[in-house]
Amino acid sequence: MTDELPAWTEPFTTAGLDRLSRPATIAGVSRDWAWKDATGAGVRVAIVDSGVEGDHPLVQGRLRESHAVVLHEESEEIVDDPATGDLFGHGTACAGIIVGLAPEVELVSVRVLGADLKGKGRAFVAALEWVVAQRIPVVNLSLSSKSEQLYGLFHELADEAYFRNVVLVSAANNVPGPSYPSLFSSVISVAAHDQPDPFRLYYNPEPPVEFGAWGVDVPVAWQGGSETVATGNSFAAPHVAGLVARLLSKHPGLTPFEVKAILAAIADNAAPATLG
Amino acid sequence: MADPTGPQDPGTDAALRILIDAARRGAVAQRFVPAAEERLLQSIVDATVGLFDAEASSVALFERDPDRLQFAVAAGPQGAGVVGISVPPTKGIVGYVFSTGQAIALSDVASDPRFDRAAAERTGYVPRSIAAVPLVDRESTVGVLQVLDKRSAPAFTLRDMELLAVFAGQAATAIAASRVQRDLPGLIRTSLAELGDGQLDEAALDAIVDRLAAELDRDDDEPFWSLVGQVSRLRSLEPGELSLVRAILEVVAAHPRAARRR
Repeated sequence: MTDELPAWTEPFTTAGLDRLSRPATIAGVSRDWAWKDATGAGVRVAIVDSGVEGDHPLVQGRLRESHAVVLHEESEEIVDDPATGDLFGHGTACAGIIVGLAPEVELVSVRVLGADLKGKGRAFVAALEWVVAQRIPVVNLSLSSKSEQLYGLFHELADEAYFRNVVLVSAANNVPGPSYPSLFSSVISVAAHDQPDPFRLYYNPEPPVEFGAWGVDVPVAWQGGSETVATGNSFAAPHVAGLVARLLSKHPGLTPFEVKAILAAIADNAAPATLG
Repeated sequence: MADPTGPQDPGTDAALRILIDAARRGAVAQRFVPAAEERLLQSIVDATVGLFDAEASSVALFERDPDRLQFAVAAGPQGAGVVGISVPPTKGIVGYVFSTGQAIALSDVASDPRFDRAAAERTGYVPRSIAAVPLVDRESTVGVLQVLDKRSAPAFTLRDMELLAVFAGQAATAIAASRVQRDLPGLIRTSLAELGDGQLDEAALDAIVDRLAAELDRDDDEPFWSLVGQVSRLRSLEPGELSLVRAILEVVAAHPRAARRR
């Protein structure tokens, strides 16, 4: 039975941790080097989700821009959307997690959810195109698409992001079968572990899902200024987005390749010398 | 019965009749093997409630016109109230899971005043914790499987979520298998659009599908559908009862001939 589970999170559970081999470390790269005293200051982080409530206490006033995708007959448009807020609560949850780790980030919300369901895939592609064109250095994606038709487009966009120094942090989907862009090698894919520590990070040398971050019973911001406790890979991804923002505020200009290598080198399952 | 096709040119008229016949046969077949999908989904929510020792489990399926997530089956001591209720796919936890394809669980939901309390109260039950996973077809998300309040713990674990995903896979397979029956007009619309090779515009497709839908809109009081309903009940009879019914039907069928001879 266990073998049949779509176990993206399996490597990061207590039973799986022993089996995670320990990747090599990089001399001089430690957690202190990576983000000690860093705050994410000046780093823009896009949240492509259900919108963000800018006045939520846990967002701490860090929301700088709110946009939404408007679908026309033949085209898509990114418009300013300061009034709608968050239709589900999820975007605000991600925002709170990111600000918790990197309290001086500049958040950019791009709302793709809650509008016309028929155009869901199109809206997602348009939002991704926009954040890549804007060169927003960190993008949190808690959604993915299974559409074969959009596979090529997502692949191109993920590559373009990679070469434009846009780090796409994508929540893994726990459902068997393809999901884009979370399964592309150019993104940082994240599944949940259950240890209540926002800094605890695992690197999985057996992809497709490469990183594990806290995603079980996470206290999060929710709609209408409220809070709740949430579980899911989509709450693990913003932990990594927040850590990447910290890293980039201390070391601007790192490429997505370098970011991934550094995260792997300072992961909690890296060789003992770098633990702690 | 009025001619459902209305005035048309003869070629289109004949084609429409064939379609309507096919659709009608499909609808009759559905009556004869009622709710195969529902029974499978029911067994899945029954198993889910048992496995998690939960207060309730339910499956909501995406339906169109208007877009909504409609609860089709439920199980558990607190489950029954939800069946038949629809929620907008653009709101709430179930809506989020449907829109994103991401499984999530929340605990402490009842203490959150912004939780979709109105919808929860309509079902007569406001949960403390909820886990919801998408039902994923080959290409898209077709619904959501949710579980409310595991009795043994205040929240759902990662393992719970993964097991739920396996159950959701079963449910999605059941739905795909019976989709032909469930959405006959939708299927015909898609086939027509493909066969028409761009010749039929949206309005023409709508017109044809509307006529089919009108034909399939079963009024149980109408003699034809009431007969189909009665005949479908015969499936559950014992052999002895069946031969009695057959004898009665033979007499009834002979009656008009006898009446005409008089």
